[in-house]
Amino acid sequence: MILRTFSNLCAQSQACFRSARAKSTLSAVIDETGKSGFILKSLSTDIFENLALEDWIHNHVDLQKRSMLLLWSNAPVVVIGRHQNPWQECNLQVMRQNGIPLARRRSGGGTVFHDLGNVNFTFFTSKKNYDRHRNLQVVTSALKGLRPDMDVRATERFDILLNGHHKISGTAAKLGRTAAYHHCTLLCSADRALLSAVLKPTCQGIQSNATQSVPSPVKNLLDEDPTLDCDTIMDSVASQYNTEFGFSSPVTLVDPSDELSLPGIQRMARELLAWEWTFGRTPKFSICTTFDLKNDTSICNATLNMDIKNGIIESCDIEVPSDWLPVELSREFSLHLIGGKLCPYETSVIAAELLRTIPQNKELGRKMYNLCRRVVFMM
Amino acid sequence: MSNVTLVEQFNPLLRVDFELKNSFKLLTQINKDRALSMSFDNNLLTEVHGLEYVVGLGIPANLKYTKDHEWVSIEGDVATVGITHFAQKELGDIVYVEVETLDQTLDKDEVFGTVEAVKTVSDLFLPLSGEIIAFNDALESNPESVNADPYGAGWMIKIKISNLAEVEELLSTESSEIPTIEI
Repeated sequence: MILRTFSNLCAQSQACFRSARAKSTLSAVIDETGKSGFILKSLSTDIFENLALEDWIHNHVDLQKRSMLLLWSNAPVVVIGRHQNPWQECNLQVMRQNGIPLARRRSGGGTVFHDLGNVNFTFFTSKKNYDRHRNLQVVTSALKGLRPDMDVRATERFDILLNGHHKISGTAAKLGRTAAYHHCTLLCSADRALLSAVLKPTCQGIQSNATQSVPSPVKNLLDEDPTLDCDTIMDSVASQYNTEFGFSSPVTLVDPSDELSLPGIQRMARELLAWEWTFGRTPKFSICTTFDLKNDTSICNATLNMDIKNGIIESCDIEVPSDWLPVELSREFSLHLIGGKLCPYETSVIAAELLRTIPQNKELGRKMYNLCRRVVFMM
Repeated sequence: MSNVTLVEQFNPLLRVDFELKNSFKLLTQINKDRALSMSFDNNLLTEVHGLEYVVGLGIPANLKYTKDHEWVSIEGDVATVGITHFAQKELGDIVYVEVETLDQTLDKDEVFGTVEAVKTVSDLFLPLSGEIIAFNDALESNPESVNADPYGAGWMIKIKISNLAEVEELLSTESSEIPTIEI
């Protein structure tokens, strides 16, 4: 019996090994088909997995002889452009309260809000075939194919406008050495209230060279026509892509967490998830603002000056009138913040430790607590 | 009044000044002038004509190029790198230049930074292996100088070349995919 179990085990492991060897990477599978056009749809709604999938395809698939289209959508997330400043672009407090993460993509452009009512299209081509206008034409033609009298037009800034006024799609792109990708969003049935709330930045007094978003009024396609839902639109764009470029590709599902067919993708997703990328890659900036400090008896005006590079506070100066709070306390708080991340969690820990050292004086303790809370609130 | 002089000048009458895609500059100019002078003392009328032809040729000094449309200016073992006029025009209005690799030593063809223009991020590739010893800080607040003056104020980085043999592999004129001269 032992022998039989052992031989069964051998057979099983051999079968496993065979299947692992037989299952080749996605790029090999694509090359084998010999087709020049491919349409993929992501099974994941995780932004980091999907962004990693885009990078993986851009780096590993031979795009000189073929083009690809990727269809994807995400659970609620705010996505900023490569060189943007999240503190300047979105309301980080509301995002934290609603469990909405922040992601930084590798392409340029402005800040967008994704949720399951928003569809994304990524067009992968060689650098020679890089043509954003043609890609957007695929999307507008697909929409016009569904509703011939709908007024959708692409602008020079590569936005798509509905009725000439409301933005339903924004664009960004990345150029590599020999290949390029162009991705765009499409608002089908997104949560517009949440979108407005998260894209309203609250941090005041930021001076920065980061690229800034151009705010535009938006609208959902569903508001225009209740029968236009995400799946209908995705299918229509996929078939229009085939028509426009002369391909005959079906929509193939892909799982971005499959390390066997996409080797290295988990590491890429982890890089995109890390604080050092999402917040730490912010171009250097400074915050220069004044705020009110109140307690039961008095109110005063304090100023905050900070220089931040790579998300780390390089210099910090919090000035509070000395009659409201002893200068040593605000100075000590400033000094403790230097060298730390511009992060409310880290700052709360520093503030808590500092509050513990204050002598037992209720009034002073409360004032210091107010100051710490206001500073944390800004981050 | 003993003398009346009339001077006409066309300076220039015709001037054609253009820069080719490979940074050669050509200048042709025609100047014309005439001075008529009437002297009442000795009743003398004098006419002086002038016709001047100017031809100029400008050649960029010591510039080498990569196939990614970057220019390289070499002085000893230090190379200054920027992007060419062709590249900046292809990209459009540049809004951000990022180089986070200062003081790092990288190999040829590795990405040393990125440039963003019209919502597109493009990678910048290192033309020669070496240590990146300087970055043009002015580009942080004025990225548009890459568009306005790509060979001068728009320089990007300086490299301390680690392998001088690689210099031979650089192109001496910029390759152009469009075979027309731009005027």
